Amino acid sequence: MARRVALAALSLLLLLALAIPGAEAQTPKRGGVLRIAEREAPGLDPHLSISFLTHSYVSLAYSQLVRFPNGPEQKHPADFAILPDLAEKWTVSKDGKVYTFSLRKGIHFHNKPPVNGRELVADDVKYSLERFMAKSGFKERFEPVQAIDVVDKHTVRIALKEPFAPFLNHLANPSFCAILPREAEDKFKDFNHPDAVIGTGPFVLKSYDKGVRVVFERNPTYFMKGLPYLDGVVIEITPDSAARVSLLRAGKVELPHIWGWLSPDEAKSVQKTNPELSVVSHQVIGQGFIYMRTDQPPFNDIRVRRAISLAIDRKAWNDALLFGEGCVDAGPVPCALKDWKLDASKIDAAKAKYLVGYDPAESKKLLAEAGQKSLSTPLFHWPGYVVPWRSYYELAADNLGKVGITVELKPEEYGKYISTTALGKYERMAMGPSTPFTEVDDFLFGRFYPELPTNLSRVADAELTRMLVAQRREMEPKKRKQIVDDIQRYLADKAYYVYVPQWPQYVSHPPYVKGFKHHDGYGLGMRLVYTWFDK
Amino acid sequence: MKQYVVRRVALAVPTLFVVSVLVFALMRMMPGDVATRMVEGHAYAPTLAALRHDLGLDRPVHVQYLEWIGNVVLRGDFGRSYWTRQPILDEFVRRFPVTLELALLTVLVSVVIGIAVGIVAAVRQDTALDYVGRVLSILALSVPFFGLAVVVVVVPSIYFKWTPVYTYVAFSVDPLQNLKIMLVPALVFGVTRAGPIMRIMRSALLDVLRQEYIRTAWSKGLSERTIVLRHALKNAMIPVISLIGLQMPLYIGGSVIIESIFRLPGVGLFFFEALNKLDYPVVQSVNLIIAAMVVGLNLAIDLSYAFLDPRIRYR
Repeated sequence: MARRVALAALSLLLLLALAIPGAEAQTPKRGGVLRIAEREAPGLDPHLSISFLTHSYVSLAYSQLVRFPNGPEQKHPADFAILPDLAEKWTVSKDGKVYTFSLRKGIHFHNKPPVNGRELVADDVKYSLERFMAKSGFKERFEPVQAIDVVDKHTVRIALKEPFAPFLNHLANPSFCAILPREAEDKFKDFNHPDAVIGTGPFVLKSYDKGVRVVFERNPTYFMKGLPYLDGVVIEITPDSAARVSLLRAGKVELPHIWGWLSPDEAKSVQKTNPELSVVSHQVIGQGFIYMRTDQPPFNDIRVRRAISLAIDRKAWNDALLFGEGCVDAGPVPCALKDWKLDASKIDAAKAKYLVGYDPAESKKLLAEAGQKSLSTPLFHWPGYVVPWRSYYELAADNLGKVGITVELKPEEYGKYISTTALGKYERMAMGPSTPFTEVDDFLFGRFYPELPTNLSRVADAELTRMLVAQRREMEPKKRKQIVDDIQRYLADKAYYVYVPQWPQYVSHPPYVKGFKHHDGYGLGMRLVYTWFDK
Repeated sequence: MKQYVVRRVALAVPTLFVVSVLVFALMRMMPGDVATRMVEGHAYAPTLAALRHDLGLDRPVHVQYLEWIGNVVLRGDFGRSYWTRQPILDEFVRRFPVTLELALLTVLVSVVIGIAVGIVAAVRQDTALDYVGRVLSILALSVPFFGLAVVVVVVPSIYFKWTPVYTYVAFSVDPLQNLKIMLVPALVFGVTRAGPIMRIMRSALLDVLRQEYIRTAWSKGLSERTIVLRHALKNAMIPVISLIGLQMPLYIGGSVIIESIFRLPGVGLFFFEALNKLDYPVVQSVNLIIAAMVVGLNLAIDLSYAFLDPRIRYR
């Protein structure tokens, strides 16, 4: 009798489990075409453009040697663990200078002329990485690479001049290390032509109607068996941001941005008008700062720089512009880069106040001591960055005005800004966002190492330089983290850059889009590999 | 008449010359340097000097100008984009039908609305109809078309889960779908441009209606319809046609924004993106082609005066 009752109870439980929609919804289904509203990418060659649009577009079609985790593999959006992609395994020599990659066998390029689905071999890796080192705007990332050698058909060896801890992260970044077939360049001169987009990635570029739409179809021979779930992806080229959000609201696209992002204002509005849409906030890697010519007066005086940092009311800023959802401790390592960030709360408070504190009285005192009571400065910037950047410049000028610093806003035309101010060529003071890098080295070495164009504040600090070099040569992750922590402690009261609050990004899509997890790496392809439709 | 035409055509040449010099000089006066952007941001060449040489930017400015304008005049070669290295004329020809169709539909909408409301307002001067027409024309004049476009795109998406933004389909592929796509942008743009046409139409028609030959027509016992449409309208149309001609550059200029909001792959977007990237040859050549079209159009309008008013022909 008891057995019968137990059996009946078990059957009932089984039935219930089947009846609960959530339980069923967890099993991904095949099918569906995901539509994205986005601007047109300036080109399709991943080595000839530094645009995130180019890299996101073509990440659907290309693979890399190694990659970041996505979908169910990732622990959080800034998880930059290294996973195999085209390389199934690799070894690193004891001195950290030689990497040997073993490629998966039997991987084929998309079946498009002139490559016609031939097998990927080690020569393709050598060709692609050397092309990257010769042509890319990011080629400095591979500056420590000494030689790339083909050991055999499926083995590649990369020798470095010195140990370089960020190497695998750079190799995994979908921004630039796509593995390309040489024949396509021979035929089309570069990889900008849509017919030249031939990779080994999850989707095949099927058609490109310039200014209208880009159509990708599922790669039936993709090496991750059973993936992707989607039949295809269509990018509906939509230059205007209001139109992109309207297309999401009207159900004409699933993503209103290549990564599904909405600005804080758009997200709040969509939540109100379209409660059926999923809107999830993520503290993403991003950073905004005021930068100064610290190689010249008056900003070579640490008191003046500290006064500027103390004048920024970060909490009020966060409440007024970011609905209190931003991060006020935004530098030098961004909030979202959790594995490397040393929170200001863990730094000596007397020093950390120059990083995140607000004290207008002390600010004025410091300015008076430095003989800069009536300091006036231009603030160069490009007003075209996404909302809320325009308000950022005005708020910075307002905050600084309250301690007696007269700020003259100097908006620049984009062409001028990107080729001068954004490369550190400006007078006195400027402001803007940082590229959201995936490697902590870019936020530290890149921003503070003397003579680099990304060292916008023109910092030249011998003690700091020594630590910057040490962290990139340290191959033991724990020891490297200690050096990175020391750098953050050291920088806390230097105010070389003055960091302003960073907003979260809101990822929005209809509720039937499942498995689309935000990741701070630049690729879109791997995110969409795990995306499926529950309808 | 022949002499008149020759004189007008001859006058167009110096105009185009001045346009070509101006646009060439203005591009080079723009802040920022295209070669620096291409090398430092996009790695188009190993060094700045190599790229400058490759693009011909290392030669004296007057040589660059003469080479460009020489190729245009002698070979009809408008050059290639610095960034995409594609022939400019091909891209222009591919995109121009979109912009032309938008401009024609916009003209149609603005002319139909502007002239109809203008006639009613003039004929029914100082009545409720006149006041309503005048208020509408002021409203159309004061609402910026790009603002109206955003409202038309955003508001229905909030309240009706619908938006008039579509994936572009060429007229030759599917005429009905194409017209469906073009209708809303043309209406938005056309309605805002109808304001000035309505005002000019009204005042020109009022002016004509007070002339003696119209009084004669009344005294002959002709119907109001015949007097307005057959006798007065043709004379009142001259300033209206001038205005439409003057507005043509606005239709092309406005297409930059309308095309961006409504996802139309036209010349406006091509031009705007080139301007942002300091793509000198594209901006110069597109400007020159459009200037030539505007000059040509104004020429056609001048010639139409001659047709409408014989006094101009014989002057």
